[in-house]
Amino acid sequence: MCWDALDLWRQGLIMADLPRRIIKETQRLMQEPVPGISAVPDDANARYFHVIVTGPEDSPFEGGLFKLELFLPEDYPMSAPKVRFITKIYHPNIDRLGRICLDILKDKWSPALQIRTVLLSIQALLSAPNPDDPLANDVAELWKINEGEAIRNAKEWTRRYAMDN
Amino acid sequence: MSGEEYESDMDYTDSDCGDPGYDDYYNNQQWGSEADNDIDSEQNKKDPEYAIHECLKVEEVERLLNENVEELSNRLQITPSLAKVLLHAHEWALQDIILKYRNDASGLLVTSKIKSSHEPDSSIALRGARTGTCLVCVNTLSLERFAALTCGHTFCKDCWCMHFEVQIIQGISTGIGCMAQDCEVLVPEDFVLSLLTKLTMRERYQQFVFRDYVKSHPQLRFCPGPNCQIVVRSKELRAKKVICSSCKTPFCFRCGMDYHAPTDCGTIKKWLTKCADDSETANYICAHTKDCPKCHICIEKNGGCNHMQCYNCKHDFCWMCLGDWKAHGSEYYECSRYKENPNISRESVHAQAREALKKYLHYYERWENHSKSLKLEEQTLETIKSRIHKKVMHASGTWIDWQHLFEAASLLARCRYTLQYTYPYAYFMEAGPRKVLFEYQQAQLEAEIENLSWKIERAETTDRGDLENQKDIAEKRRVTLLKDFLEV
Ligand SMILES: [Zn+2]
Ligand SMILES: [Zn+2]
Ligand SMILES: [Zn+2]
Ligand SMILES: [Zn+2]
Ligand SMILES: [Zn+2]
Repeated sequence: MCWDALDLWRQGLIMADLPRRIIKETQRLMQEPVPGISAVPDDANARYFHVIVTGPEDSPFEGGLFKLELFLPEDYPMSAPKVRFITKIYHPNIDRLGRICLDILKDKWSPALQIRTVLLSIQALLSAPNPDDPLANDVAELWKINEGEAIRNAKEWTRRYAMDN
Repeated sequence: MSGEEYESDMDYTDSDCGDPGYDDYYNNQQWGSEADNDIDSEQNKKDPEYAIHECLKVEEVERLLNENVEELSNRLQITPSLAKVLLHAHEWALQDIILKYRNDASGLLVTSKIKSSHEPDSSIALRGARTGTCLVCVNTLSLERFAALTCGHTFCKDCWCMHFEVQIIQGISTGIGCMAQDCEVLVPEDFVLSLLTKLTMRERYQQFVFRDYVKSHPQLRFCPGPNCQIVVRSKELRAKKVICSSCKTPFCFRCGMDYHAPTDCGTIKKWLTKCADDSETANYICAHTKDCPKCHICIEKNGGCNHMQCYNCKHDFCWMCLGDWKAHGSEYYECSRYKENPNISRESVHAQAREALKKYLHYYERWENHSKSLKLEEQTLETIKSRIHKKVMHASGTWIDWQHLFEAASLLARCRYTLQYTYPYAYFMEAGPRKVLFEYQQAQLEAEIENLSWKIERAETTDRGDLENQKDIAEKRRVTLLKDFLEV
């Protein structure tokens, strides 16, 4: 991330009349990024973030770069951000459309949580898939009955969709 | 509950012009469905499927709930707002709550989500407030702009208010929680109302709270009638019939759906879901015409009675099974019962699927047919009514002379309704001696209902004593079946 981009974005801010909370969070994300995660606001819409999560070490997603989109709705932080994987991923809690099954994005959302905490939770979900609370049923099924094969699939998908692009 | 709760719905005030007499009187009764008001409430009370109940207006329910709130608040010396959280969390079981409170007040407050399970500590939210910065909006504000819940979590009032609004828009009211992460504490009513500024939001919040209270109260149920504001109260807490005094909708007190004795709430739900899923398969059987089994002339069914007589050869037969009517009602009556293939478990999967479908269609066809008969009998009654009206106008007899006929029709509808709901019951019943007994009683009820229907269709030529007698027999069969099989 270059500082030019940040400046450009700051100018856009004044126009957009963003809540102070979003400005503060964005500044912090740019100045002290979370290791392994980049989140950059869109030039045209400061509520829309381009996110890249690196696959955690010792997980089947290691070596992959996963693109996500994150959008802060009008009533953020009273409502949770909307987050979705754009890169295809073989994971029991992420479905074909990239939707994520994560409690803090739904009923466990608290206005005291931040973009940063959400992204950290998603990274943790990649390290520790939870097939007992599935969103992608076929993936979860395989994960439970044949973990070895499921992990091989996840690695294969990571190689195919999340590397060199 | 006393009789005065069943207010008469007969309105004499607007019959002040024209023909003030019989039309208004009779039109107020819902022939063919249920003529249930104070006139037959005595009889209702003896009916095994009827739950004694009262119909309350919103203000009356509020008064009832508030009495509980006040009592609990006085007995435990807590705010009414907290008393409400406790009552809502414990299905309004006042004595239970008092007992639990005496045993372990703190534990009760934690499980009811009034108190935090951790001691109020120097959590992040608190620290934020101390420095004058709200952790949600990150604005720095003076201390009087902050508000804290019992858990100690402190945020600025504007953020609380916005949080409440977002929750209320999603229909959440009694379930609004603290804004802090991992805090389970529920926000009590007085806290919400002290910070919610918009009038429309306050109104919506209070409506939702009321709805939640009624839903959490086992003795209360909203009338499912369209746009009806009535709340029905019954202490029986059973899957029995109640009738709204305002819109006249009859429904099951436990599940709020159409009442369904002798079938229970879970079974009827399963049955209706199955019917909806299989509606295409079942559609083809909805025939309005069949051929006479003897002379093969085409016969159209336009009455509710299933005892048919061919207009050509005068053969009496059953519309459902096309069997000879003479055999119906005897020990060997086999029309309502489904004869399962005893060796089915040894057959192929295909054969088993075919058998399962055949069984379902047998019950579905009868269920559907009685539902249609109910509607047709309603039409028949309309026709009879207008004919009698003419007779009375021409001075042959008075309305009172024909009153028994309308009573018979009302009773027929009640019996046929029960009969219709015996079919889902039988469909899901395990084979065994109890099922044999059930099917025997079902067949008896069915035969007497068709006899009654036959006599009502020919009311003007039927002997009145004969009709009265048939009425008693049919009702006796219905009550017996319900007494033996209605497990609520
Ligand atoms: Zn709290
Ligand atoms: Zn605030
Ligand atoms: Zn009603
Ligand atoms: Zn029910
Ligand atoms: Zn028959």
